[in-house]
Amino acid sequence: MTDATQGAETEAEEGKTIYDELPDAPPKKKLKLSWTGKIGVALVAFWIIMVIVGPWVAPFHEADIIADDSYLGPGYVTEGEGTHWLGTDYLERDILSRILWGARMTVGISFIATLLAYAMGVTAGIAAAVKRGWYDMILSRINDAILSLPTIMLGLLIVVAFGSSIPILIGTAAVIYASSVFRIARAFGQEIMVMDYVEAAQARGETIWWIIFREVLPNAVMPLATDFGLRLVFVVLFISSLSFLGLGIQPPAADWGSMVRQNLEGLQYGSLAPVWPALAIASFTIAINLIVDDVSAKSGGDLAKKMIS
Amino acid sequence: MQRMVIQRIWIGLATLWVVSVMVFIMTAALPGDVAAIVLGQSATPESLAAYRAERGLDQPLVFQYFGWLGSLMTGDLGISKAGGATISSLIAGRLYNTMLLAAIVAVISVPVSVMLGLLAAMYPGTWIDRVLTFGTLSLISVPEFFIATFMVLILAVKLQWLPAIANISGDETYLELLRGLAMPLITLIIVVAAQMIRMTRAGILNVMNSPYIEMAILKGVRRNRIILRHAFFNTIGPIVNVIALNLAYLVSGVVIVETIFAYPGLAKLMIDGVQTRDLPLVQACAMIFCGTYVVLIILADVAAILANPRLRNPK
Amino acid sequence: MTKSKDNLPTIDNVSVEDRVTIETGLRRGATRREVMSWLVASGATIAVAGSIVTSAKKALAATPKKGGKLKFASDLHGPSDTLDPGLNTSTIDYTRSRSMYNSLCQINDDLSTRPELAEEYSSNESVTEWTFKLRKNVKFHDGSNFTADDVLYTMSRHYGDKSTSTAKPLVADVKEWKKVDSHTVKAIMSSPNADLPVILGTPQFKILKDGTTDFQKSVGTGPFVTTEFKPGQRSLHKRNDHYWRDGANVEEIEIFAITDKVARTSALLSGDIDLMQALDPKAIRQIESTDGVGIWSVASGAYFGICAMTHTSPGNNPDFVKALQYIQRREKIVKSVLKGQGTVGNDHPINIAYGADHCQELPQRTHDLDKAKFHLKKSGITSAELNVAEVGPGMTDICLLAQREAQKIGLDLQVKKVPNDGYWGAIWMKTPLNVVTWNMRPTANVMINLAFAPDAPWNDTLWNSKRLGKLLVESRGVTDLAKRHEMYCEMQRLISVGSDEFPPSGMVIPAHRNYLDAKSDKIEGIGRMPLGSLGGYEWPEFAWRTDA
Repeated sequence: MTDATQGAETEAEEGKTIYDELPDAPPKKKLKLSWTGKIGVALVAFWIIMVIVGPWVAPFHEADIIADDSYLGPGYVTEGEGTHWLGTDYLERDILSRILWGARMTVGISFIATLLAYAMGVTAGIAAAVKRGWYDMILSRINDAILSLPTIMLGLLIVVAFGSSIPILIGTAAVIYASSVFRIARAFGQEIMVMDYVEAAQARGETIWWIIFREVLPNAVMPLATDFGLRLVFVVLFISSLSFLGLGIQPPAADWGSMVRQNLEGLQYGSLAPVWPALAIASFTIAINLIVDDVSAKSGGDLAKKMIS
Repeated sequence: MQRMVIQRIWIGLATLWVVSVMVFIMTAALPGDVAAIVLGQSATPESLAAYRAERGLDQPLVFQYFGWLGSLMTGDLGISKAGGATISSLIAGRLYNTMLLAAIVAVISVPVSVMLGLLAAMYPGTWIDRVLTFGTLSLISVPEFFIATFMVLILAVKLQWLPAIANISGDETYLELLRGLAMPLITLIIVVAAQMIRMTRAGILNVMNSPYIEMAILKGVRRNRIILRHAFFNTIGPIVNVIALNLAYLVSGVVIVETIFAYPGLAKLMIDGVQTRDLPLVQACAMIFCGTYVVLIILADVAAILANPRLRNPK
Repeated sequence: MTKSKDNLPTIDNVSVEDRVTIETGLRRGATRREVMSWLVASGATIAVAGSIVTSAKKALAATPKKGGKLKFASDLHGPSDTLDPGLNTSTIDYTRSRSMYNSLCQINDDLSTRPELAEEYSSNESVTEWTFKLRKNVKFHDGSNFTADDVLYTMSRHYGDKSTSTAKPLVADVKEWKKVDSHTVKAIMSSPNADLPVILGTPQFKILKDGTTDFQKSVGTGPFVTTEFKPGQRSLHKRNDHYWRDGANVEEIEIFAITDKVARTSALLSGDIDLMQALDPKAIRQIESTDGVGIWSVASGAYFGICAMTHTSPGNNPDFVKALQYIQRREKIVKSVLKGQGTVGNDHPINIAYGADHCQELPQRTHDLDKAKFHLKKSGITSAELNVAEVGPGMTDICLLAQREAQKIGLDLQVKKVPNDGYWGAIWMKTPLNVVTWNMRPTANVMINLAFAPDAPWNDTLWNSKRLGKLLVESRGVTDLAKRHEMYCEMQRLISVGSDEFPPSGMVIPAHRNYLDAKSDKIEGIGRMPLGSLGGYEWPEFAWRTDA
């Protein structure tokens, strides 16, 4: 969470007035991170670096089946091969190496899919709120149809029909989650469209896109940002839930969700094999959300804090 | 208002139809048909042909679709192409189970998470907010099958307090039912509450930013009063939307929980239907899910309009 | 909870042949000392031998108790669950059928047969005609009498264009089913077949009441009456008090599935179920270290196969197939993937579980990267795509092991994971490289006939060996044991190695798997018939609770 007090005080020292925080004020350029936000940035940076260099720093190849036994504990040394710092998985592979390799799949795919979902969902949702009429009607019906069906079933349909290559997985996750984004974006868009300042803009004769980019989007950013963080978590979990149906990432490539799934049996006798990838997922998704909180709490948080003082 | 609701119902019916067409096209596009999947490894060309003839699968797909649509109009859901049982007999008990689970989760999680979200928004940046944020994030960041399996290991296998599975059949006592449902309930509450808490908090903090709240602050209205009276009512629109989507998820999307706890619900039935290409069964489930969704969304829209005077009387 | 159990082996741990020897010995009245001396002679320590004999004697001596309820969880169920034996394809179906119906002949643990609904059966000298004398005092659950008409009706469902039976090819050589009198039936064969009784003991040939077409509430003669059947949910089976023989031990059986394997194991560990099918090998350690539960592992001829289609590239290149065979780390697969619950394969389907028909003379193929490299180079192939579905527990992992080895010899073997549903229709026998699993069949002849005969509908690799086809038919009439063994050996060599004129079958069979299930220690009476899970699904009538 943001340390809003500190942020507010700093700004006050810089001589800013409360009016700077009115909605029509130009967007602030400077973002001060709280300590939790900093941890978030550090973790996300770490994983992004691992996306790039993971395979080179990993002690083994992700598909190497080399250890003495399955579900070995952390620190076990396989003679002539090396140390398994986090132990081994059900198929005698090194978990640390698989997590480092898996960053590509999990972080990469979920990030791209969520961004795509946002690009599609926000554009369509806000456009529907602004344009209304038939445009809204048709988009909303298709969207409702997608939303009303279980995500895992839609995933199953698409993956079974087209195969589970990485582009298909990204596309599937993006389309499915774009529909949730669409609804939220449209709802916020509608709320904002009836606000006075937007109506004023309309009265001034501004174009629709001007209204979207200057008035509607900036005001919907905060709730959408919160949703972005959550949505990213859902995409990670969605891909891992496909592994539940035997779909998902092609083996032997590692993704964290299916690593948890495949090693679940280990949990039954106290192996940490499924815990490490679960921690990796948690560290990445929580980190994203800590940053999101700092971004979103910037305006609302500061203001609410001021009222206390 | 009344006119709007009636209009929404028509829209809902249109959505149902769109869903049925979509499901039909997508299921038809999958490789293999019911016969090939039911007979599986032991299929021969002759037994495939015989199976198809027996179940009416030799007709063109479009005929099958309109046949289904026609009998649906008369209230007949048809017969499962995979096992031969009537769809209504397959669905009846499971529909009740699904609704039961969803209702209990909703009754517990909606008020709790809206209150916690409000709490977090009232004291942003404080330890309450931090604990809530970190707690909800940690819980939803872990795959639900991990949480569920972990709980089963502790509560069922080690401590033996609760049964590991919830394959309820309708002849349990209330106590048995409650014990069986306990772990599925906890898992689902964790999954849906986290999102609702975070969206409530975000929605309210967002409204705190709008000009009229500025006015109220400048006028010296007390903070808690602002949040509860002004901000909260103005965020009802987005919040009920999030709640509606989560409730729809509880009805249709809980495949993993149903699978892990062997809970006989609808979501798993639909997946089974897709995997065996049992079109009438998939359609029936899709109609139920879509119908639930439509009703929830209409309720959410009505709530949003009632809560926001500007939407109530559009200029 | 996780306290380690006594590590001495019990009768459950010894190999199939040894167990048969020990158990028959004890049954025939061999003393403890005698049996122990056999074991010690074959290399066991006194302690181990003692432990084995004690457990074997205990298993034989215990008298079944009556009463109690039994909960069984299978691994798969769904809307396609059916009580129509002809359409049965899954363990849950087979188990339900076994509790509701009877067969004409029952298969013993050593794959011989004993009378069931047929109290006597015999063939003529040339094995071209079988006569079945039916029991007279048998009643269906609805009270009607069992007669020859019921048998004729049941069999008629496995013939003709309208038959949806999944076991049609098994009885295709029966030309005619003839009613002699109200309780005698004759099967007239088109070619000699000594295996007909054992075939009739397989699940699809359960006897139905004449004219049955509605299988939602089916009527059988079996030890249990089905009182509730909800496809994909559960079924309940109550003890049939008017059964024609001793009858079942437990009062009621509940059959359902827990599709998630981790959840299924947890349910057994927590005591919510008594019996589970398909234990994941990964969970063996947990089961073995927990008191009150144990694994039930039965060695069998069931196998995993990688199929290189012989009509197209790369499978039509025998050198490529040889390379694929030499990169298999067979011992490693048994150790790491099957966790010891299996045996190495020799690229043909007949292992020691088939007894005398297994060809021990055929040298075991081993992991040999040099030979693999040599053959791969000769084939000129550098990459191939292998379609894999998890059709058996561990199939994907076996292919992943092969992929790593392939890399070492310069073969880029792309493992493409495809969904299970639709696999048999769209991938198997359709794509150049795919995978298959086969359950064990009652005889070597049936197994080879189903999967390798030149005209078999399920010939995995579309391999066409006229010589094998000829041997298959001829061997059915051969009664001289040495000659028979020689013929079977030639068949196995043809499949695995090929002959001078003809290439081998294109099948890579790295391992045979045990049927690996688990049960509560409170349940006894589970058999060891190796044709399916939990002793070939035969348990419903014989299982009993020690705490009843």
